[in-house]
Amino acid sequence: METMTLLMHGFAVALTPESVMFAIIGAILGTLIGALPGLGPANGVAILIPLAFSLGLSATSSLILLTSVYAGAMYGGRISSILLNIPGDEPAMMTCLDGYPMALKGKAAEALAISAIASFIGSFIATVGLVILAPILAKFALKFGPSEYFALFVLAFATLGGVTGKNQFKTIMAAALGLMIATVGIDLSTGVQRYTFNMLELFEGVDFIIAIVGLFAISELFFFIERHAGDGLKQVAINKLKLTAADIIRVLPASVRGGILGFVAGVLPGAGASLGSFISYSLEKKISDKGEFGKGDSRGVAAPESGNNGAASGALVPMLTLGVPGSGTTAVLLAMLISLNISPGPMLFQQNADLVWGVIAAMFVGNLVLLLLNIPMIGIFVKLLSIPPKYLMPVVTLIASVGIYAVSHSAIDLYFMVAFGVLGYILRKVDIPLVPVILGMLLGPEMEKNLRHALVLSDGDWSVLFNSGLSITLWAISILGLVLPMIIGPIIRSKMSKSKEA
Amino acid sequence: MRINDRVFGMLMLILAVAYGWEATQFPIPFGGNESVGPETFPIMLSIILGISSIYLIVKPDPDEKWAPIPMLLQLLSVAVALLIFAWAIEPVGFIPSAALVVSFISWRMGAAVKHSVITGIVSSIVIFFLFNYVLELALPLGILEL
Repeated sequence: METMTLLMHGFAVALTPESVMFAIIGAILGTLIGALPGLGPANGVAILIPLAFSLGLSATSSLILLTSVYAGAMYGGRISSILLNIPGDEPAMMTCLDGYPMALKGKAAEALAISAIASFIGSFIATVGLVILAPILAKFALKFGPSEYFALFVLAFATLGGVTGKNQFKTIMAAALGLMIATVGIDLSTGVQRYTFNMLELFEGVDFIIAIVGLFAISELFFFIERHAGDGLKQVAINKLKLTAADIIRVLPASVRGGILGFVAGVLPGAGASLGSFISYSLEKKISDKGEFGKGDSRGVAAPESGNNGAASGALVPMLTLGVPGSGTTAVLLAMLISLNISPGPMLFQQNADLVWGVIAAMFVGNLVLLLLNIPMIGIFVKLLSIPPKYLMPVVTLIASVGIYAVSHSAIDLYFMVAFGVLGYILRKVDIPLVPVILGMLLGPEMEKNLRHALVLSDGDWSVLFNSGLSITLWAISILGLVLPMIIGPIIRSKMSKSKEA
Repeated sequence: MRINDRVFGMLMLILAVAYGWEATQFPIPFGGNESVGPETFPIMLSIILGISSIYLIVKPDPDEKWAPIPMLLQLLSVAVALLIFAWAIEPVGFIPSAALVVSFISWRMGAAVKHSVITGIVSSIVIFFLFNYVLELALPLGILEL
C-alpha cells in the first residue's frame, strides 16, 4: 500500500509539536470565525492568509493552520444555526431545521454536542475518502494536456453556480469580470503591458488576496451597517449537558450516511456543501421510522451537519488534485497555495508529497482537536458569540487591514482593498455572485496559458480544443452544468425553502 | 422595478467594448505576430461579457432595494474613513489612526460614543502590541515615536 506509507509520512509531519500547535490555533480561530454571524469560513480564511503570509510561516505550517481554520469554521457555523436560528453560511441552513427547535426545548447543549460528534464523523469519513480518491484522481489527471485543462477550467466555472444556482448569466458575467482582472499586468509570455495604464503598481497585476479581503470582508461590513445589524441577535440560553451513550448511538447511522453522501456531493463539480446537507437531511427523514423531524429530532441535527462537513473535506479533492476549487472557501485556500508558489494539480502529489500528505494527516489531527475542543469549550464560544457586531466588526476590519498592510507595507494595497469592498457591495446589490470573480482572478493566468499553449501547438487551429474524448466529455459536462440548473434549480430551491418553512 | 440589472448590464456592455477595443490596440510583441497573442484571450472575454450583459439588459431580474440616500452617504463615510486610515497609517502612526477608524465605524454601527471610543483605543493598542512584540511585524509608530 503505497498510499498508507505516504500517509504515515504525513503523520510524521503532522504530529511534530509545531504542526500540532498550528492545528490547535487554527481549530480555535476557525470555530470562532465560523460562529460569528456574518463572517463565514471564506471570509475567515481570507483574513488570515495575509497574516500567515507576513509571519513567514513555512508552506506546510500555513496550510495546516488554514485547513484547520477551514474545518473549524465548518464546526463553528452550526453554533449560530442552533442558538440563533441563523445559519453561519448556506450549508448550515439545514441544521437550523431541527437544531433550533431542540434548543427551544431546552436541549441546546445536547444539540451542540451531537452536532460536534456528527461533524467529526462526517469529516473523518470524508478525509478517509480523500486519502483513497485523491491519488487516483491525481494519476488520472496526469493525462491532461493543455486543451483538456482549458476545458476543465471552463467546467469549473460552468458548475460553480451549482445545481441551486439562480441566474447562470450572472455567474458567467462574474467569471468574465474575474478573468478580466486577471489579465491586468505584464503578459508573461510576450512582455506586452496589458491594461496597466502605465501605473507601476499594476505591472505585476492585481493581488487576489487584497481582492478577496475587499470583496468578502469589507463588503460584509457595509452590509452590516446597512442592515443596522450592529446589536446582534437574541440567542437561546444554553443548558447543562446531559448526554448519554444511547443518544450518541442513536445518531451514529445518520452521521455515517450523512458523511458519505456529503463527501460525494463535495467531490462532484457543482453539487457542493448545501446540496450535501440537503440530501443527507432528506434521506434521513425518509428512512427513519417515525422521527420528529422539524421539531427537534437529534438525527435531523446529525445528518445535515455530518453532510456539510463531509462535503467540505470532499471539496478538497478537486482542489488539490486538479487545481479547480468547487466552493468559495476552497477557492480561498487555492489562493493561498498559489501565493505560496505551490501550484495545485496532479504534479502536487509527486513534487510536494510531504506537504500534501502532511496536510491530509493534519486534517485527521485537526478534527480530533476540534471534537475535543468543542464539547468542553462550547461555553466560551457561545460567550463570544454574544459580543455585539458593532464592537466586533470594526476590530475584525482592522485586523484584516493590518494583515494586508503587513504583507507589503504599502498604503496603496489598502486603497485597493477599500475599492474592492465597494465593488463587492455593488456586485452583491445586483446579485452577481462573488465567488466566480475570485475564481476568475485565480485561474485566469493558468487558463490563458493553457489556451495559448494548445493553440500554438495546433498552429492556431481552434478545433484542437475539442480533439480528444476527454476534452469533449469535459465540455459536455460544462454545458450540462450551465443548462441543468435552469431546469431543475427552481424545483430544488423551492423544496429547500419548503422544508425550511414546514 | 427592474432597473438595477439594466443599468448594470449597460455599464458592463460599455466595459466589454472598451476592454475588447483596448485589446486590439496592444503593441505587436517582439518577434512578430503569432497565431495567438496577448490579445486573443481578452477578446474572447470581452465577447463573453458582452453577450451576458446584453442578456441582462433584455431579461433583467427584479431589483434588490437600494438603501436610502442617507444610508448610502453613511456607507460612503465609512469607506472614506478606511481610506483616510490607509493614508494616515505611516505619517500619523498606527495607534492613533486605527483608534480613530475603529471608533468611527463602531459608532456608525450604532454603539454609544463612549463605548466606541473605548473599543477603538483598546483594540488598536492591543493589536499594536500583539503585532509588534508577539508576531514581530513592525507597525509604524508615527507621531508617537519619540
